[in-house]
Amino acid sequence: MFNFFNPAIALLFQEMTQGRLAVAWEKAQHPDLSKFLTIGALLFIIGVAGVLTRRNIIVIFMSIELILNAANLNFIAMSRYLQDTGNVNAVAGQIFAVFVIVVAAAEAAIGLGIVIALYRNKETIWIDEIDILKW
Amino acid sequence: MILSGWEAVFFWVFSIAAIFAGLLTVMARNTIHSALFLISALVSVAALFILLHAEFIAGVQILVYVGGVMVLFLFVIMLVNVGSEERGSEEIFNRPRQVIASVIFCGLLVAALIAALNQGYAGLYKRDQPKIEAAVDENRIRDRNLARSATGSSRITSDTQRMGGSLYRYGSLPFEIASVLLLVAIIGSVMLARTLKQEAAVDDVDPGVLQEEAAHEPELAKVQPESLA
Repeated sequence: MFNFFNPAIALLFQEMTQGRLAVAWEKAQHPDLSKFLTIGALLFIIGVAGVLTRRNIIVIFMSIELILNAANLNFIAMSRYLQDTGNVNAVAGQIFAVFVIVVAAAEAAIGLGIVIALYRNKETIWIDEIDILKW
Repeated sequence: MILSGWEAVFFWVFSIAAIFAGLLTVMARNTIHSALFLISALVSVAALFILLHAEFIAGVQILVYVGGVMVLFLFVIMLVNVGSEERGSEEIFNRPRQVIASVIFCGLLVAALIAALNQGYAGLYKRDQPKIEAAVDENRIRDRNLARSATGSSRITSDTQRMGGSLYRYGSLPFEIASVLLLVAIIGSVMLARTLKQEAAVDDVDPGVLQEEAAHEPELAKVQPESLA
């Protein structure tokens, strides 16, 4: 019985130790630039999905913050990579991230001001009911 | 840049926390819960920044986002009435067809992005392999040789110093422009959030509009502009 299944078990064992699973496990133990960029891409997509699907304008604003943060993560991961490969002006990515944070803060202040004014005039925060600009 | 050991463990913990918190931000029914999940996502991303030797950005992220922007969000959520959403009488997502279409396109986009990322990084790695692998040992030696702080519990890096030097050497003009941007944002949000009564108090409304509005809001007619009173 065991002898009959032996090749299959051996193949499985080989796949485990030298196959894709082992390679993936080995890579997971040593995260590199591509892992950080993947996390950034996932956060970005979650933010885009939030903007496209939610009806609450405040949650849409929060999704935009998530998108900007994903961009920041990419900038800083790239900055670290360039530091390691010996680029001269490698901290430029971090500087750009500071400006992204500044713009995000300004955007949040203005956007929430608009939300307050809108709520005062239309009594709603659902985006499908906010259609004053439609002709 | 290849992390290993505890750094890898922290990377997985905080990246999975960031993604789950982000998902819950988008999916939570209660807007306050959304905001709190977004705070935890931002803190997790700040932890990833520390892992990437960007300690200053991590601190700024927590101070500005969590301490400033998210508090502003929470104030606005409490100012507007979202009770119907919490009680479940309002649908929180768009119409089902829109949701399905956008989720499908987001899935396609993320699949393409990740495939492109991995392929691109494979090429980059092939080009820079000697430098990347040399940097692993270099970083380990440099981290070991960093001076200890006075309490002995942590080490002193010069990452923030380098970033500050670079910011004022290459980015001083954008830095000044950013301050003007923030000033404009402050003035703009104050202008936007004013009520008609507050506008009338500083004589900032068109007289015709004011008369029209005062017809069905008698209190408005009593407001005297401060400059005339």
